Amino acid sequence: MEEQYFEEMRQQMAALKGQLDKQEIVSDHLIRKIMKMRTKDIKSTKNMGIFAAIIGFIMFPLNSIAHSWSWAFTIATGAMLLFCVIATIYIHRPVEKLNYMTSDLATVARVMAHFKKQYDNWLHYVTPALIIPWLGWACYEFAWKNCPEGLNPLWMTLPIIIGAAIGGAIGYYYHCKAVNAAKDILEQIEEQ
Amino acid sequence: MKQQEELFSRLVREHKSTIYTVCYMFSKDEDEVQDLFQETLINMWKGMEGFREESKIGTWIYRVALNTCLTMERKKKREIKKVPLQMDVNLFEDGDANAKQARMLHQRISQLAYVDRAIVMLWLEGMSYDEIGAVVGISAQNVAVKLFRIKEQLKKM
Repeated sequence: MEEQYFEEMRQQMAALKGQLDKQEIVSDHLIRKIMKMRTKDIKSTKNMGIFAAIIGFIMFPLNSIAHSWSWAFTIATGAMLLFCVIATIYIHRPVEKLNYMTSDLATVARVMAHFKKQYDNWLHYVTPALIIPWLGWACYEFAWKNCPEGLNPLWMTLPIIIGAAIGGAIGYYYHCKAVNAAKDILEQIEEQ
Repeated sequence: MKQQEELFSRLVREHKSTIYTVCYMFSKDEDEVQDLFQETLINMWKGMEGFREESKIGTWIYRVALNTCLTMERKKKREIKKVPLQMDVNLFEDGDANAKQARMLHQRISQLAYVDRAIVMLWLEGMSYDEIGAVVGISAQNVAVKLFRIKEQLKKM
């Protein structure tokens, strides 16, 4: 009885494959379209980081010459951005290196779990450790050192705080996007 | 490059029914099958550089298709515009005997967890426990244990 049940499933599978063999399924147009694709993966998070770093490297020296940031602050900011870009590449590398031709499901699950853990660690530990001192320094450079006479320096910190809030929200959005993608994949592999 | 394109084209045509079967078992409608099928081809093409023809092609095709079906973010907008598949039948809707049989199998398998679906599909294809283990990334003993549990689950359906 039991064998008959699974034999029936085997026959259904064979019939399905037989039916599909008769279908054309793939057109030349589809194959050509796939092959035209360059391996430009969807690496929006990584691209975002690189974009931010480029902007930083261009903007900060300009700002330092033209306006009020000190060179020490510019160098520290540049170093921080460089560190962030290197870390982003390091975290993303195993995911990008995943080869669908050679990686088994267990490997995919392991890489995704590691990726998610590193991203979470970055948000919980590295981000506050970098951003809080940097913001403090930025407030000092922008608001206190160059405050016009008669103006309370605290008012001058407002643009920095607003800018940091906007930047933080954008960063958090991309963080959630990457982590949720990894989480969805993990749930699909490890579900039930 | 030309050689690689020819190999890719040949592989896709030779294994189209295997790829479609995997995508079908992981989808709830024809639209999703098309998405998964196209995504599988994209991943195959991206992985062609590391592909060695002497390796066991069937196992590799399964690996790519299953990895894609298990890891694709279904809500994500596709990278390229979808090209319709050349199919005269709709296995989700047609009323002929073959489509009904396929749907019956789909109904049974789709009630299983994703990884269990992969294991049972490979088993129904006649793969050995070692081969199934190589695709899924678990030992042959583990495959046997999982398969026993899956069979019990299937019998209760």
